[in-house]
Amino acid sequence: MSEPAVRVRDLVKTFEVTRKSPGLAGALKGLFRSERTTLTAVDHVSFDLDRGEMVGYIGPNGAGKSTTIKMLTGILTPTSGDVTALGLVPWRDRRAYTKSIGVVFGQRTQLWWDIAVVESFRLLREIYGVSEADYARRMKVFDDLLDVGRLLPQPVRKLSLGERMRCDLAASLLHEPTLLFLDEPTIGLDVVAKANVRSFLKEANKLLSTTVILTTHDLDDIEELCERVVLIDRGQILWDGSLRGLRDRHLPEARIRFDLNPIPAGDPAELSVGPWRAARLSQGRYQIVVDKREVGTADVLREVVRDLPVLDLAVGEPDIEEVVARIYRENAALRRPGAEALPEGGAPGAVAHRGVRRG
Amino acid sequence: MSTALAPASSPFAFARPYLAFARTSFLNLLAYRARYFVGILTYFFNATVWYYIWRALFHEKGDGATLGGFTFPQMLTYVATGWALRSFYFNEVDRELASQVREGRLAMTLIKPVDIQAMTLSQALGESAFRLVLFTVPIGALLALVYPVLPPASPAAFGLFLLSGLLSALLVGAINFCVGLVAIRTTSILGVLRAKYLVLELLSGLLVPVAFFPEPARKILVWLPFLHMNDTPGRIWLGLATGADAARALALQAGWTVALLLLGRVLWNATARRIEVQGG
Repeated sequence: MSEPAVRVRDLVKTFEVTRKSPGLAGALKGLFRSERTTLTAVDHVSFDLDRGEMVGYIGPNGAGKSTTIKMLTGILTPTSGDVTALGLVPWRDRRAYTKSIGVVFGQRTQLWWDIAVVESFRLLREIYGVSEADYARRMKVFDDLLDVGRLLPQPVRKLSLGERMRCDLAASLLHEPTLLFLDEPTIGLDVVAKANVRSFLKEANKLLSTTVILTTHDLDDIEELCERVVLIDRGQILWDGSLRGLRDRHLPEARIRFDLNPIPAGDPAELSVGPWRAARLSQGRYQIVVDKREVGTADVLREVVRDLPVLDLAVGEPDIEEVVARIYRENAALRRPGAEALPEGGAPGAVAHRGVRRG
Repeated sequence: MSTALAPASSPFAFARPYLAFARTSFLNLLAYRARYFVGILTYFFNATVWYYIWRALFHEKGDGATLGGFTFPQMLTYVATGWALRSFYFNEVDRELASQVREGRLAMTLIKPVDIQAMTLSQALGESAFRLVLFTVPIGALLALVYPVLPPASPAAFGLFLLSGLLSALLVGAINFCVGLVAIRTTSILGVLRAKYLVLELLSGLLVPVAFFPEPARKILVWLPFLHMNDTPGRIWLGLATGADAARALALQAGWTVALLLLGRVLWNATARRIEVQGG
């Protein structure tokens, strides 16, 4: 087994910020004495990325996602800790390292704003020394998968957000990087554009076995693309593992939703099904929330079908947004002074609070 | 299937990205060419104002008089070549660099395997190439048509003038890279840049030839890089610096360019660690 593509150990990044006191008096005070505080954006983070892996890196605003990415891409120098990526130290060996990585920052573009897209691609071709033949072949693939061909003669400022993102994705893969960083690659895109981007990423990961690390607020991205998620809040990792595991551990629920015909007499707000209770959602429609730690979903289903005049039925799981929201709440509760121990399933990493949030 | 290798056949392969940067910079300015047509007139007016100022001063002294070693036709030629040169060597890489850092756009450059200083300088030269075509040549032609500008003192003087002009562009690129990095550390980038323009226009000899400065100032000035922006190429055109004099001036100009490029590297290394790219 080869060594991991990326190895992160005890990574810490702190920022010095000046506290501004409010009001005129505060402003005057600030002229003579500024209070400086240290914010810990990334707080002893460790993980490995295997080659060819596609990992979702998620967390709320200011959790330290982007700061981590900036250290992994060599833009920021950490306060302490180690990163070895593709055998190099990103911030120290920046020029050698960046030859084999691709980066997309969804909120920025690496394309020149005022000139035709193709000119940016030609520049990138020279920067990475991509041969004419490879360039032609890859552009053909990008055109097939992302439909960028017709965008090439247009200046970037005239492109829609989705079009621009497709061009940026292609640009980040022109040199076939072994490691790809995507920071919010679907931000602001409509449903169709999101689907395009996701299927392209899947394809690229399969075709080139690129290692991909993806940060996003859109957990559908993760659900569709990543086997593994790393969840970070206030600079610390709360979960590192499969999405299923995250769900089973923190919100092990199934939701059985069913329509009844005829509608039960009196249209009650609650129905009993064996030992379980079904809550009314709308007329004739009910839902049972099953705690999977206590009972199998199939057992409940069987009883529902047997006891009630079920017309239609669906079983769902809480979507990942809910799971994550629950974890954040638990994590925040834990940090409150005098808080009880975390409810069962609390992440082992979330014990001490050293970090301060950073916007 | 991994990274494709660069065609390493040429020993100059390392320069290819930077040529591409210069080219892209050229194209980028071309997108705004309409804005530059007004600029041609601005340069023409500037040269015209100084033409009349000097004419008035020489008129006082009577025909055939010299001021600071210049005859009136020489002074006019100095003014014309000076403004034409400025239209060539001028660049805004300092402002661009500072705003890239301020807006966090530098991140998009840092993720590329390029040398930031070499890239900045390539863009400065790309900008100069653009300005040569759209500014310098039309402005030079216009000035030569309207005013009795003297031709270069000799074909050799013209060749050395071109060389010196090219060095001016490199020198200004090197200065601006440093200025941009210093400006980042202050709270008023535009303030620093505005001060720089005033200082450079005076110390480069653009407004007044170095020969007119008081003796103590001149003694200091000849040991600074700035007069090589304008004064050196201007005197070479006029044949006021020839032979060993011209060689010495060019050597100093080249030496300063190299020294400031090295200073830029030191400044970059000191700044790179401190750049905390905005946004998270």
